[in-house]
Amino acid sequence: MPLRNIFIIAILTLVFFTWASPAHVAEKSLYKIGVNLEFTGPWAEVTKTLKNAMVMEAEGINAMGGIDGHPLELIFEDNGFDLGRAATNMTKFTRNKEILAIVGPFEDNLQATTRAIAEREEITNIIICPSNPMVRALKQKWAFNIAQSDIIVSEKLVDLCLARNYNKVLVFHGAWPLAQSLAENFRRFGEAKGAKVIISKETHKPTDIDMTPQLIKLKPIIKREKIDAFYACTAGPPGPIVCKNLRTLGIKIPILGTHAFGFGFIIALGGEAMEGVEFAGAKPVVFDQLDENDPVRPINIDFDKRLRDRYGVGIDQLAGYGHDTVGLIYDTLKRCTGEVTRASFRDSLENTKGLKSCHGIYNYRPTDHDGLSKKDMVLVRIEGGKFKRIKFPGFE
Amino acid sequence: MDLWPNILQLLSSGITIGAVYAMVALGFVTISRASQIINFAQGEFVMLGGVTTFFLLKSVNIPYPLAILMAISIVVIIGFLLYILVIYPLRKASVLILIMATLGVSIFLSSTSGLIFGTLPKALPPFSGAKPFQVWGVSVVPQNLWVLGTTFILLIILYLLSHRTLLGKAMEASSTDPLGADLLGISRNLMTFLAFGVSAGVGAIAGILITPIFFTSYNAGPLLGLKGFIGAVLGGWGKNSGAILGGFTLGIIESLSTAFIPSGYKDGVAFAILLVILYFRPKGILGSPFMDSRRW
Repeated sequence: MPLRNIFIIAILTLVFFTWASPAHVAEKSLYKIGVNLEFTGPWAEVTKTLKNAMVMEAEGINAMGGIDGHPLELIFEDNGFDLGRAATNMTKFTRNKEILAIVGPFEDNLQATTRAIAEREEITNIIICPSNPMVRALKQKWAFNIAQSDIIVSEKLVDLCLARNYNKVLVFHGAWPLAQSLAENFRRFGEAKGAKVIISKETHKPTDIDMTPQLIKLKPIIKREKIDAFYACTAGPPGPIVCKNLRTLGIKIPILGTHAFGFGFIIALGGEAMEGVEFAGAKPVVFDQLDENDPVRPINIDFDKRLRDRYGVGIDQLAGYGHDTVGLIYDTLKRCTGEVTRASFRDSLENTKGLKSCHGIYNYRPTDHDGLSKKDMVLVRIEGGKFKRIKFPGFE
Repeated sequence: MDLWPNILQLLSSGITIGAVYAMVALGFVTISRASQIINFAQGEFVMLGGVTTFFLLKSVNIPYPLAILMAISIVVIIGFLLYILVIYPLRKASVLILIMATLGVSIFLSSTSGLIFGTLPKALPPFSGAKPFQVWGVSVVPQNLWVLGTTFILLIILYLLSHRTLLGKAMEASSTDPLGADLLGISRNLMTFLAFGVSAGVGAIAGILITPIFFTSYNAGPLLGLKGFIGAVLGGWGKNSGAILGGFTLGIIESLSTAFIPSGYKDGVAFAILLVILYFRPKGILGSPFMDSRRW
């Protein structure tokens, strides 16, 4: 056979195998999702967990052949915890017509801006933090939230108070909208159940390093009103600071926290002062202590194992959000019929029903873009430097 | 409200935080006495003291006392490097340029610390137990006493350094009369170099002392630096005793103000009182050797 023929056969064989190989399946158009997160700035370490989880899940989906053959691509942009950069990223993503939806931001401070841009540009915005009470009133169409909202957290915490027989609770809240809303909702639901909830006039800022002055003013109220429990309605470092300062002042009443207490670094910061703190938390915080028949238990256990195998660290609340975000995107795209557009993506996401994921079962409705419900929360107690699930008959 | 025990408790809290401001203020004054430079990276020394100790203790597993000593040495070396790499090459530029350069260093140090040690806040274990004890109805944790005691010792050491040693006098001379210092053969560069080391050391000690009480994180420096700077100006810019007095005054005012007004305004009160004091005493409470209040 002449050399030229051998060469032609070789080329044809190569072309055939290239065409028939699985890589060819990936020739279908990419589904692109923009991710606009705080990869630098104070939340850099936390969002790294989120990114790791999202990357692992997206790669898993692509390894299984993508979404009906379409690979999923996540395009990450850092917003540096800066409002301007978060807005720029949003605009940049919306200009790229291939991008179907945008994930992020993680922090409450940035979400009002990204929501506004999402509404104007008509692109889905999946926000990691809980919905902000101020923007929730705007009845927005394109913004969706992943995290447990202030409403369900407050409802669940009221359950904890009823179970523990705390009839009088003093709330010391942060001076930012989400903390204020958590305090207000807690009072509303608590009073509906017959508890007395006193919201302190004293507040704190996220940058306060010492809350002793505020707590000194609250000490006489605790004595006079015979307060049963103290609700540290806050997030981030102020949580452990409040607990430490309370114990230093010799105030020994039980402390309640928000779901933002479910991060390992909170225990590390507060040390012994965190012992006995109870809160309504997310399921991944105590994933190995969930009921055997809990539908999300196996999802969490499997995800934890995969995370440990790949990154050497297990699941936490944030990794759970990462998992659920990609899971929601996958489920949404899977249910889209015909050509996927930004509008069909949004409609499909809004029709999410009963999607089981790490944090619980997601259901979106035109009137509810928060996804999770009270059933997706568990009661948690910090004991021996670890998160321990607590159960009360009739409340769990 | 039962005011009196509360006032005592607020005073105790104010004194602790005031001690921290005082130490930061001391760092500012030490450098300014030698070179007239306002080192805006002073707060970063405090932060680095805390996070470096945390890193050595938790990640390298070095015993606590050794980790503290090593962290102080590392921060002092960073102080020296700051002088060698940033201040010395710019020595012919105006003081204003040098101050801007220290701002740049502040951003560089905090970002680098975030990259190396992570951005989450960190807490060190208390030096001697966390159990509070009661003094005249006031709860005090042992760490507060450590903070106060060390501030007192540092003040004595710095006083002796500046008033009783030739080195201290040479440092001050190089700032107040540069020409005279040159004529007497004092190396002004060496004096500023040493001042940066001392200032970094004081900052690091402050950082290590407060991290068990207030936590620290890579971005904690600027706020502490600002409060320390205010303390130094309040007490009398350029005086060690002024820095100490200003720091404590600021801490106590901040804390006591919350007894009378909602705590949300406490930063505002501190600044308002600073303005009022400077209005009547533009050179600070104890007066400043560097400031001419009759400039206009």
